[in-house]
Amino acid sequence: MAAWMTKVGVYVCHCGLNIAGVVDVEKVVEYAKNLPDVAIAKHYTYVCSEPGQRMIQEDIQEHGLDRIVIATCSPQMHEETFRKTIAEAELNPYLLEIVNLREQCSWPHSEEPGKATEKAKELVRMGIARVRLLEPLERRKVSAEKSVLVVGGGIAGIQASLDLADAGLKVYLVEKAPSIGGRMAQLDKTFPTLDCSACILTPKMVDIAKHPNIKLLTNAEVTNVKGFVGNYEVSVLKKPGYVDGDRCVGCELCTKVCPVKVPDKFNEGLSQTRAISIYSPHAVPKVAIINPNYCLRLKCDKDVCGKCLEMCEAKAINFEQQPETIQLKVGAIVIAVGSEVFDASKMPEFGYGRFQNVISNIEFERISDASGPTGGKIHCPKNGEPPKTIVFIQCIGSRDKRFHEYCCRVGCMVSLKQAILAREKLGKNVNIYVCFNDLRAFGKGYEEFYRRARDLDINFVAGLPSEIRSTADGSLYFDVYDRGTNKLLEMHSDLVVLANGLVPSSDLGKISELFHASRSTDDFLLEAHPKLRPLESPTAGIFLAGACQGPKDIPDSVAQASGAAAKIIGLLSSGEIELEPLKAVVDKDLCSGCRMCEFVCPYVAIEMKTEIVDGIERLRAEVVEAMCQGCGLCGSACPASAIKLQHYTDEQVLAQVHAALVETKVKGGR
Amino acid sequence: MAKPNLESRGKILAKLSEIELVNCFQCLKCTSGCTSLKLLELKPHEIIKLVNLGFVDELASSDIIWTCATCLKCVQRCPQKASPYHVIIALRNLTAEREAKVPEEYLKAVSQILETGLAETTQKVVTKKMETFDRESLKLPKINPPKESFQSTFLKILEEKGE
Repeated sequence: MAAWMTKVGVYVCHCGLNIAGVVDVEKVVEYAKNLPDVAIAKHYTYVCSEPGQRMIQEDIQEHGLDRIVIATCSPQMHEETFRKTIAEAELNPYLLEIVNLREQCSWPHSEEPGKATEKAKELVRMGIARVRLLEPLERRKVSAEKSVLVVGGGIAGIQASLDLADAGLKVYLVEKAPSIGGRMAQLDKTFPTLDCSACILTPKMVDIAKHPNIKLLTNAEVTNVKGFVGNYEVSVLKKPGYVDGDRCVGCELCTKVCPVKVPDKFNEGLSQTRAISIYSPHAVPKVAIINPNYCLRLKCDKDVCGKCLEMCEAKAINFEQQPETIQLKVGAIVIAVGSEVFDASKMPEFGYGRFQNVISNIEFERISDASGPTGGKIHCPKNGEPPKTIVFIQCIGSRDKRFHEYCCRVGCMVSLKQAILAREKLGKNVNIYVCFNDLRAFGKGYEEFYRRARDLDINFVAGLPSEIRSTADGSLYFDVYDRGTNKLLEMHSDLVVLANGLVPSSDLGKISELFHASRSTDDFLLEAHPKLRPLESPTAGIFLAGACQGPKDIPDSVAQASGAAAKIIGLLSSGEIELEPLKAVVDKDLCSGCRMCEFVCPYVAIEMKTEIVDGIERLRAEVVEAMCQGCGLCGSACPASAIKLQHYTDEQVLAQVHAALVETKVKGGR
Repeated sequence: MAKPNLESRGKILAKLSEIELVNCFQCLKCTSGCTSLKLLELKPHEIIKLVNLGFVDELASSDIIWTCATCLKCVQRCPQKASPYHVIIALRNLTAEREAKVPEEYLKAVSQILETGLAETTQKVVTKKMETFDRESLKLPKINPPKESFQSTFLKILEEKGE
């Protein structure tokens, strides 16, 4: 359709006072009326409201409008809403241009209303220049696999898997460790109800193992991801555990005879296990696994030791086991890889790593847990004695510009819980202090939990120490200034527990590359929209659950996991998926086969094909439509302008640029 | 306490281009570790808060800002990069600019550096037998007073730093 035949409707939204409080909307409308091809221009309080949308629909039908410009908030907010509006009025939804008068005009220029109005006019002029050249586009449907890959078997991955599997989708749950359970499995009790973590988690772990729709792959990692929403092809590397999972009965006789001691990772290195062992007391699957970095036989590659082999009655041990690559086809992916705990040795002033009696909060969990290295008895690591004074110190590595600026969102509640556990286990004669900056008890039942801690005679010091020192016998002393009393308290403590924050996993960079899931400035994975699309990554088909998206406690992780599962069920239930038509298209006659586009494409959506033209072999680029996310990198990289991005063609974009530079005054002219 | 003076606050903030004083969230790490707290009752967190609220003039005329031992622990430990040390130095400079109460020891130190080029004067040593020696009697080389250009450069530096 030639641009000069168009009839453009322009709508300027007040957005209450958000736009109209700064920009003179009437002036913008008057200005727009005199621009080429504009048939109608109006302003309205809330264009997104029902009467606002109806106004546009009526104008389309009455005046035969064939292009719409809406000057309103960011297209991120309501472009989709307005596409539906004009589609209902039987206009192709892609003949719409959103001009951002809020985030890009009235908000940043609220101090200068006059200039903001001038800018608004220019932005509207640019929008009109572009809308005249837009072409109708159709969405396409592709079939979708009714199966899901869940990466990470912590509480978030477990919850997402169970919800998806219960809805009838096939789930592949991939876990890096030998058992699922994640961080939650390491905890003793959970706040604010003091439920035993294992009591509420283990049944869910068993459900995973038993569920007919879930295929559990432990000791495994995703190595390659190809494809697009609805049709992902995933390679998973299952590492050898050197024990036949179907035969092993979990009797642990092998662990008893194994001579090689290994630091127990599940117990944060506070105890030792053996080179062949079961990962944790509640492991699922409850199967022994051999650590090839420690096992004498595997390290030497000779027929040495073999004690476990002799002991195992089930004949489950197999030193010949090889790594196995499994190919999966899935429609969507949930990333639920969780977070890590901040390493407090990065803050040398607190002596973590130097003083044995300075421990981290996750180590306290293992010491307090009945199935942990001390059988649940809280004692000082240095001498094994129960502490007479315990001090908790908050905000370690969090709310700190030197490390992580964000609040870890769990540290306060974890320390309250641990202080309460210490009071319950050690009795009323133990002195318990919590040194805090701001104590944040924001969740449901959390403030009540804080009061419960005060009821139990736990002392709160409003101030953080600068450093911790140790005497030769391992007891600790430090000064801390208290805001409440205006006094410098000279504290002596047998045990100091640091409230280490949650930090992004060290392999999150690799994971973000593998799944094309971008990261936010805090290095966690980025959600598609902080308020309106918090459960998914900006890449279609990749969903986020749990602490990999930002620090979270258990209730929030579970909520996000169930939410992501519900979104996936909605996405895959019909078996087909609608794809946006904003894709790149190659003009074969212009393509020289230079491969620039293939090199720059972040979504591996360009395939190079060989063609025979006039008896000569020629290389040509081809866009795999379903994989293309419409980012436009190829279009700008192509030296021959052979690739154009639909809806953002060179002509359309340059018309907008031209309108920004040259004022169009004559109505009806081009 | 007197009324806040936001103009003086602005002067201090202008001296602290890179130091994010306003970010202080009163965690008290600075005061908990302050070398000058126990003997001289310097509370860095209080100074930051007073400046932030505009009570600059009281501080500039008080003795407390001269008690900082400049150990820089607060700079190292501050989680918000709000550095009380730099605020205290800015307050001292403001006091000097106003030609207000600068402790005599500071002025003495400055004039001594101007005259001798040394932060510490040469001292006599006393042996176990209570004999006293000076540099000359120990045949140590004589220390020459600084060149004239030193004095002018030193004064110039003082002026620049005071800005």
